[in-house]
Amino acid sequence: MIPDPKRKLSQRELLFLIALLCLSVGPHVLHLQPWISAFFIGMVTLRLLGLSRPALLPGRFLLFLLTIAGLANALAHYPLMFGREAGVALLTSMLALKLLEMKRERDIYVVVYLSLFTLITQFLYRQEMLLVVYVFLVVTGLIAMLMHTNMMRSPSRPTGLLVRSGGLLLQALPLMLIMFFLFPRFSSPLWDLGIRDNRAVTGISDNISPGSVSRLSRSRAVAFRVDFDQDRIPEPARRYWRGPVLWDTDGRQWTAGDQIPERASDFFASGKPVDYSVILEPTGGKWLFALDLPHQVPTEASLEADFQLIHRGPQKRRFQYRTSSYLNYNTGALSEFQRFRGLQLPDNITPRMISLVAQWRGGSDSALVDQALAYFNEQPFHYTLYPALLGDNPADQFLFDSRQGFCEHYATSFTLLMRIAGIPARVVAGYQGGEVNPISGHLVVRQSDAHAWSEVWLPDLGWVRIDPTAAVAPERIEQPLDLDRISEEIGAPIDFVPVDISFVGALMEQFNWSMDALDASWHRWVLGYSKKRQSKLMDLLGLGFLKGSQLVYAMVGITAVAVTLMTLALIYRGRPKPNPVQAQYQRFSNRLKKLGLQRRSYEGPRDYGRRILHRRPDLRGQVEPILRLYIGIRYGRMNNLANLRRLKQMVGGFRP
Amino acid sequence: MKFRPPYRFMRSAVADREGNARISSRKIYILPTGHGLTYGVLLILLLLGAVNYANNLGFMLTFLLTGLGLVCMVHTWRNLLGLELTAAAVEPVFAGQPACFRIALQNHRAGPRPGIRIDLEGSRPDITDLDGASTGSLSACVPTERRGECTLPIVRLSTRYPLGLLRAWCYVRLDASCLVYPAPGPRIPPSDVPDYTRSAQGDKGVGADDFVGLRQYRAGDSPKHVSWKALAREQDLQTKMFGGDRSERRWLDLELLSGDLEARLSRLCRGVLDACEQNLEFGLRLKDRVIEPGRGQNQRQRCLEALARFR
Repeated sequence: MIPDPKRKLSQRELLFLIALLCLSVGPHVLHLQPWISAFFIGMVTLRLLGLSRPALLPGRFLLFLLTIAGLANALAHYPLMFGREAGVALLTSMLALKLLEMKRERDIYVVVYLSLFTLITQFLYRQEMLLVVYVFLVVTGLIAMLMHTNMMRSPSRPTGLLVRSGGLLLQALPLMLIMFFLFPRFSSPLWDLGIRDNRAVTGISDNISPGSVSRLSRSRAVAFRVDFDQDRIPEPARRYWRGPVLWDTDGRQWTAGDQIPERASDFFASGKPVDYSVILEPTGGKWLFALDLPHQVPTEASLEADFQLIHRGPQKRRFQYRTSSYLNYNTGALSEFQRFRGLQLPDNITPRMISLVAQWRGGSDSALVDQALAYFNEQPFHYTLYPALLGDNPADQFLFDSRQGFCEHYATSFTLLMRIAGIPARVVAGYQGGEVNPISGHLVVRQSDAHAWSEVWLPDLGWVRIDPTAAVAPERIEQPLDLDRISEEIGAPIDFVPVDISFVGALMEQFNWSMDALDASWHRWVLGYSKKRQSKLMDLLGLGFLKGSQLVYAMVGITAVAVTLMTLALIYRGRPKPNPVQAQYQRFSNRLKKLGLQRRSYEGPRDYGRRILHRRPDLRGQVEPILRLYIGIRYGRMNNLANLRRLKQMVGGFRP
Repeated sequence: MKFRPPYRFMRSAVADREGNARISSRKIYILPTGHGLTYGVLLILLLLGAVNYANNLGFMLTFLLTGLGLVCMVHTWRNLLGLELTAAAVEPVFAGQPACFRIALQNHRAGPRPGIRIDLEGSRPDITDLDGASTGSLSACVPTERRGECTLPIVRLSTRYPLGLLRAWCYVRLDASCLVYPAPGPRIPPSDVPDYTRSAQGDKGVGADDFVGLRQYRAGDSPKHVSWKALAREQDLQTKMFGGDRSERRWLDLELLSGDLEARLSRLCRGVLDACEQNLEFGLRLKDRVIEPGRGQNQRQRCLEALARFR
């Protein structure tokens, strides 16, 4: 067909276009308002019915009414037409209408371009690797459609076209990488469209009640991943990831309360600091987790007086930050305000709690702490992920009656006991531990590592971390919970004995770690590729001197070089290849070139031979057998591998 | 082609002595099409979106499509590169009929070259797909108005493959021409052709058309003329005799017609066609050039050629 923008599309072309358009919009249907999705699905159905019965398709007037209806539908559900959702809703409605209207060849371009635009909006919602693969495949289909319109006769099967368009995209891939890594990243958006993300995310929150941490701990979801510089990963017992610091309690719940109106004090530290970067999954909270105690503040975050790292806003996306911690520290003196807050007691302190603490009095504060820990260790306390529900006074009930609980029970009741004893204390929530991914070497911290512990202030030592859970279940600190092996009965003890893993199990584990490593590098190099990472990469490549617009020039330059190289490669690949026999004949002729006896384009081998021998009769012994063999292979029945090899040998040895 | 480029200043591929024009890299022009410009706008929109949302996957898709555009540029350009064109010989036409040149395309590359299109001013474009290492052909028709030699004007070879975002083209000058006979004019009234000359002797049985009779075979007679049927009837070897030399002989003379030269030539052309159709023996007198009477297709061609080239 001669390309004609007015040519009517065939049924097949229509079917493919409809399918591609649906695939482009597809994932949106799941999260848009049901009415918008319903409109889209309705129009697709109408269009599909119209394939076999064109009479069903709306005429011009009806199409106009449908357009009004589609717009009204979008407006009704997104009244202000503002922001991402509204834009996508409008785009989806428009595409649905375009479906009904497409008839001619020029519509192919409209549909393909709109589909490409729709595909990019998918990334505003989800950013998994799988979606990227999906989008790549749909783009391959769309490009195949464009290719189809620019060929006289398209391959009869769509696979041929798909392979070709996939090939084109693969050739575009290196160019994409160059541009992706070199295009300058901006630290702030060009303009704010008021995007709000309202996905529910889990993570440590700013309040703890009995059972809240254990609930969180039942999830295997990744909380964050940590990459330590020079792979200096602290031993498990020191991996306390500090999150919210909880000061206030009403006897049931512990909350962070107001921030302390003090500046973070310098602390005395010894040893080398540990530097690391963290990829934090969306938490919905404002805390950034750092090892005890952080001294370097990531950008857009602040370090509070109680050493919490607080980010500007809640974390609704994956977020990457760098920080550094000292593992040995002394926070020094205590301010009056902190002493006051660290000694507040709720109303529901029972006499038996007071008398318990009274038994331990007599020595120093640190001796008292030891006695309290010994109490947890010696009395029949159980460590369980499924603690029994507690009533109005959970601390009292836990300490004297149920005696089974998860870390938050131990931490909160221990803190209360300390405050009763007059030692300033507070609860710290966060994560403890983490597993090292053996493939990539980074540390994976999961929600199941959620933890709560206590901090007490001791003279000379400052704030000291005390983990009463360690007194009950020291294994918890050394190894992560194995959720698969914990029975879900209430009060069931947690068994830390490692078991032999079967071969299949080991394989599965290996696979899981690989996926985790892939996910981490996916974030590192793709999703989390920021201005900072870019300048680091440029430093690494020795291009660190490139800044801002210079990066654009470099991008254009390097892309141009890559395109040139690709062009040369394509030309080289497409060069005409003579068959091996002719190649040898050509070689033979080239050898004679020096004597001015190159073969003329119209000359057959016999004439050529005659001409050679006329000029150089002395070459007869070599030229004649070569030509005889060539004629035999080329025109006779001597075409086999052995003869070809012989010809090669003879021509190779022919040096006139 | 609404806009007529100043060909004199444009680079063009010119046929060599053997009539082959090979398209070399520096002869190819390339510019985005309307769809290509829209594609560019789309890329800008995508980039703005990706920058604004700081969405790295958005950047990826944008740059993938940008890369695709660049790859297309190479492919579109390469689709013409190294193609070899040769114009084939063309049968003469009468003025007013289109002269259709067949242009052979030779693809030396192993890969295919789809969507190769040829454009010629004032004629329908032709388009073809070439398979790897193969030959194809395109036709370019030139409308003719005047008699004489019609040379193939500069043609434009173009392609939009693979995605129609860019069009690469090049101008090719091929060495091909087509003889254009004068358009056949109105019939010459018999009164205007007084010089009807009859054969004086009448039929001598040495013509070639009408069967006259049989005679005894003589050595040297053409075997074509041997009456094999008679031999089969066990008669002697006999030779068939043909007549026809008795028929009219017609002279077509430019001087005897009046009016405009072209009109006269047109009427002579008609005269030649009619005479040939009626199988007359005819000759042509164009001032100094005289074509002795004869008959058949060769005579017709000779006369028409003379008419076409007459100055």
